[in-house]
Amino acid sequence: MSLRSFDEVAVGEELPQLRRVIVREDVKDYADAGRDQNPLHQDDEFARSVGFDGIIAHGMFTMGHMAACVGDWAGDPEAIVQIGGQFRAPVGVGEEIVTGGSVRKRDPEARTATLETWVSVTRADGTVDMPLKRGEAVVRLG
Amino acid sequence: MNAAAEGKVYPAVEVEVEPERLKDFRGVFRQASGVPPTFVTTIEYLAFAQVAADPELALDFARVVHGAQEFDHRRPVREGETLTATIRVDSVRGIGANAFLVVITDIVDEDGTLVCVAKSTMVERGTV
Repeated sequence: MSLRSFDEVAVGEELPQLRRVIVREDVKDYADAGRDQNPLHQDDEFARSVGFDGIIAHGMFTMGHMAACVGDWAGDPEAIVQIGGQFRAPVGVGEEIVTGGSVRKRDPEARTATLETWVSVTRADGTVDMPLKRGEAVVRLG
Repeated sequence: MNAAAEGKVYPAVEVEVEPERLKDFRGVFRQASGVPPTFVTTIEYLAFAQVAADPELALDFARVVHGAQEFDHRRPVREGETLTATIRVDSVRGIGANAFLVVITDIVDEDGTLVCVAKSTMVERGTV
């Protein structure tokens, strides 16, 4: 992959969406790599005791997935200068998250693009929730 | 949580960017190369452990969920380098039954140059 050229990017351009079904092993792998061993992400009984249906994925799994979508589009994860968002809904095991975004503005001097990004999940009953809202990323392009 | 802890700065934590951890982190997100921007969370988390365990702040970690996160990179993190993370309590606010804790972590390299600023909002969920 090579770094996307700033000149190829237009305001309004949509990023290719990235989908992923979360399995229990993903949550465990993230806990180990990310150093976050909170029982909310490992122990169903504990998760139920604090009001969830079972273990949930880490918020930073959701944001890491969003960063992967942006990094794939940019051609290099290190092109992402800023990234952030608000965690608004839990993601359970077996659910599919979808992330996407669009270019909101371009800065020709810095050769950066500011993206609006999001992560959604469709529940078993068809309801769509947003595990990550108000996502934003600033990407330095070639 | 105790709002009097606002402004408190915790001791700096030194962390090596271990190649094996970085490889595992990339693997989780199916990234072929480079350092993902959210990798900094693994460094921030070590500094945050002091906040979670601080009796003065009295955060009830069992009731905490991650509310929001931002990373502002001055440069990408490099594999194998040693970084120093210093975390501080930016604000403590009660909204409804929940309490919101904002912490800011400055991450600097061996030369003391700023690499990344991470801002986390933690939500201590109410018991009602």
